[in-house]
Amino acid sequence: MRFDPLYLNHAIAALDQTSALQQQLTNELSSGKRVNVPGDDPVAVGQNVLLSAQLQMNDSFSQTESSLVGRMQVTDSTLGSVVSQLTQAVSLATQGNNGTLNASDLKSIANELAGIRDEIVSLANTTYMGTYLFSGSQGNTAPFSLDTSVSPNTVSYNGDSVISYVVTPDGQQIQVNLPGNTIFNDSANDVLGILNNLIAEFSSGSSSAASQADATALGNALNYVSQQRVVLDNSITRLQAAQSYTQTQAAQMTAVQTDLMQTDMAQVSTQLSTAETQQSALIQVVNLLEKNNGDLFSLL
Amino acid sequence: MATLNAAFSIATGALEAAQSAINVIANNVSNANTPGYTTELPQWQENDTISIGGVSYGQGSTMTGASSQRDLVLEQRIQQQTQLQQDTNARYTALDQMQNIFSASTSTSTSSPSLDIGQSITGFFSSLSQLQASPSDSSLRQSVLTAAQTLVNAFHSASSQLSSQQNSLDQQVGTIVSQVNALTQSIAQLNQQIAQVSPNGDAGQLEDQRQYDIQQLSQWIGIHQINTEDNGLTITTSSGAPLVVKGQAFSLRTGLSGGTTHIYDAEGNDLTSELAGMGGQLGGVLTVRDQDIPQMQSALDTLAYNLGSALNSANQAGTDANGNAGGDLFTLPSSTAGAASQIAVAITSGSQIAAAATGNGSSDSTNLVSMLQIQNQSIVGGTTATSYYASFVSSLGSLVSEVSTENAAQQASLTQLTTQRDSLSAVNQNDQAALLENLQQTYQAAAKVFTILDAVMASALNLGVETTVA
Repeated sequence: MRFDPLYLNHAIAALDQTSALQQQLTNELSSGKRVNVPGDDPVAVGQNVLLSAQLQMNDSFSQTESSLVGRMQVTDSTLGSVVSQLTQAVSLATQGNNGTLNASDLKSIANELAGIRDEIVSLANTTYMGTYLFSGSQGNTAPFSLDTSVSPNTVSYNGDSVISYVVTPDGQQIQVNLPGNTIFNDSANDVLGILNNLIAEFSSGSSSAASQADATALGNALNYVSQQRVVLDNSITRLQAAQSYTQTQAAQMTAVQTDLMQTDMAQVSTQLSTAETQQSALIQVVNLLEKNNGDLFSLL
Repeated sequence: MATLNAAFSIATGALEAAQSAINVIANNVSNANTPGYTTELPQWQENDTISIGGVSYGQGSTMTGASSQRDLVLEQRIQQQTQLQQDTNARYTALDQMQNIFSASTSTSTSSPSLDIGQSITGFFSSLSQLQASPSDSSLRQSVLTAAQTLVNAFHSASSQLSSQQNSLDQQVGTIVSQVNALTQSIAQLNQQIAQVSPNGDAGQLEDQRQYDIQQLSQWIGIHQINTEDNGLTITTSSGAPLVVKGQAFSLRTGLSGGTTHIYDAEGNDLTSELAGMGGQLGGVLTVRDQDIPQMQSALDTLAYNLGSALNSANQAGTDANGNAGGDLFTLPSSTAGAASQIAVAITSGSQIAAAATGNGSSDSTNLVSMLQIQNQSIVGGTTATSYYASFVSSLGSLVSEVSTENAAQQASLTQLTTQRDSLSAVNQNDQAALLENLQQTYQAAAKVFTILDAVMASALNLGVETTVA
């Protein structure tokens, strides 16, 4: 029977193979990574690219969300102050219209109302990190300016009515600002205009039908501002919900990604131990072959 | 009637034959590790009988020479299999290096920044997404600009690594062709020698050398062999261009064409495309250089061009931080060709990012929202930019693993064939030891015959008196 006299070389080649396998498995164990180049598992790598992209977008949405919510909470508390100022203004207006006050009392009410108006204008011009909160898209422009040279005083709006949205990773668009003209000088509920009218009316020293109508309108405007505040609060709630959804999703995706790309320690350890057994058996074989060197020449 | 002298001559012949046979064994043993050597067996032949007085007498034996233990069909199978195996091996080696360019796509960490195209596409969109928090913030705008620069660098890096891989393969082509030419020269010379020395039979060690040269040649290039008269060999490339015809070698030439090294036959025909994938390292190298890398480059070009164009038109649709109409974000070539290496950031300041819709102020993020939507739009190859890159990496990985599997199968088959060949042709020390033992006994027996004949002859000369002639 013929055989390959160079069979020892094949045993050595097999030894090289098990050594290479051991090296690879040890590498997987130490790095914790099952896939190191695309060829190791092409499908997993493709999915990993998509998962990583999604995770990164989720991650940056988290940052966007926290700074947006920070700004919107400042907006909300600003509106809270506006509401309490307006509540005070409504009770002053009611007091001014009850017909028992003399001219000087009415003038002092007018002064108090002017103080409230100034406070509201300054609240409407609040900035957050250098940007005006209520000027629509014109973040660098103070939204409201007061002209006291005319009577009644006028307030003009210098911003625009652009509403900004943020897109969540799952595609929702959420409103993140309230333009000043929809809160402070809306055509139907012109808070600042009504206040200016009341100030002018009470400054004249007497209450009138006009001042009574304006007092009622101010009450309506107060409700309107509160409604607008609810719009903002809804957005905050939606953003926070989107944030927690994103985080849950990220946790799931990270788990999937780990399954996909990370070493299964138990499996690799088993493979390594098998490879080690094979290796030591082969070494034994090579050792025997070399020692006995089953060659007839040694017997001649 | 036979004579004592005739018996002397037979015994002498036997001693000579045994000596020559021992020579053959010694040669086998000494060449046991010589590459290409095939083991030789001493050939014995009975001498013609002579007839004396109607009785035939044997005249001993002669050693007619050594015959190489060779199976030419098997040799040729090994050469063909070597061509296939070397082709996929060269391709695998090159592809394996290439997949390392894209190994960052296996990273599971989003925090470690790298020049991976997939990660920098997402990085760009994620900087846009963060700009939503405060569109007029100049530091957020600056980070969009930085992300755009990273994206561009990622495309440049992948593209230039592919190009330099292509260049190094191109240099290999020249080296391989000069090896091929050296080997075909040598085979042509061997053809001449064999035609003179052994036109009708196995040429022994010359044939060993010729087969060894063909085996070497098979590592470099895919070939066909045709046997011709006078034990000659005609060798052509697998596509039929002559390399060796009888005693003449036809050298391949190389020349630059379109920026790459092309291969021409002796008549100046361009063989480059027909040699790709047709065996030997040359086949693998040409496949990667002329098919695999251009395909990848073109995929990256398409991605860079389509993504850049989509972002450009989105930016043009808006207004930047200074109230100007948005311009291009990226500078792109006029067509996809070369886009991955030529794409550049067109804006110089973060303020040129058109986050706002036309006519809106700098705090508006309306246009930013449309820019962000590009990441979910099918802008390239019927899918999103990230999916396109994912399937690009995935198909590169599949190609590598496919070629690797193919190569492993070919290697296994080659090993099997080599085992078959070695079991026939390699020097088996045990066989040699046994033969040597045998020949030693033959020699000793013939010598003994000689001694006895000597004694018989002495008896004959001295007519029974033992001491006179020793």
